[in-house]
Amino acid sequence: MTTRQVDPWRFAGRFLENVLSGSIPDEPAYAEIPWTPVQKPLSESKLALLSTAGISMKGDKPFDMEGERKRPTWGDPSWRALRSDATCATIESNHLHIDTGYIERDLNVALPLDRLRELVGSGEVGSMADTHYSIMGFQGADSSVLENESAPEIARSMVAEQVDLVLLAPV
Amino acid sequence: MIWPFQKLVGMPRVAAIEHPFGRPYGDVGDAETQMAVLRAALAVFDSAKAPGHVEHLPFTWHEEPKETKWHPAEPSPIIALMKKRREKS
Repeated sequence: MTTRQVDPWRFAGRFLENVLSGSIPDEPAYAEIPWTPVQKPLSESKLALLSTAGISMKGDKPFDMEGERKRPTWGDPSWRALRSDATCATIESNHLHIDTGYIERDLNVALPLDRLRELVGSGEVGSMADTHYSIMGFQGADSSVLENESAPEIARSMVAEQVDLVLLAPV
Repeated sequence: MIWPFQKLVGMPRVAAIEHPFGRPYGDVGDAETQMAVLRAALAVFDSAKAPGHVEHLPFTWHEEPKETKWHPAEPSPIIALMKKRREKS
């Protein structure tokens, strides 16, 4: 499905493009990119979703917006587990860089649990994990806690649920 | 989606899409597009044969950028700080 190249700045606006477009190196920041070959057909695989939209279950601790307001170069590095039956009524999204109103009206715009459930129903996907995940996409100047603590914890949770494939959707 | 960021941080497989921030899978209530994007992203598990693969998905957002609202009600703290610094310099 190769077509024209996606314009990463189409919706960013001139300010963001001016600030960021010249500062992203073309080559990956890491010498080795991790690679795990796909082990089994999609129709036999268990899938989990991960969103960077700062989504949490109502009743769980929300992502820390006040901390970011006080320290604009800091982003909450923690993570949240989301139930597979999560809906707009049972989640909240706390993210200071996007209009979260769309997610709160239709969770599938960023975390398509309903669509995934339909693919499982039709047999295209083997199964969906009991747990899905969210982090805060904005990490400011230091992403070390997310990289070294949260990401391994999320990975361990996925392994414990025998997840085969993960889709991470940045917002 | 600023896919060069995903490439920079070493995502093994990237499905780049030209959708506005906050709605990567499609718009509110647009189950057809949400499903098509989900299927297209899942297909990259099959098409990507080497680490660092970037696939550009052929989706076009239904609104022009100037008509598309995705910004928060107030500028994010870092954007507000950067604009303030620019004004001072």
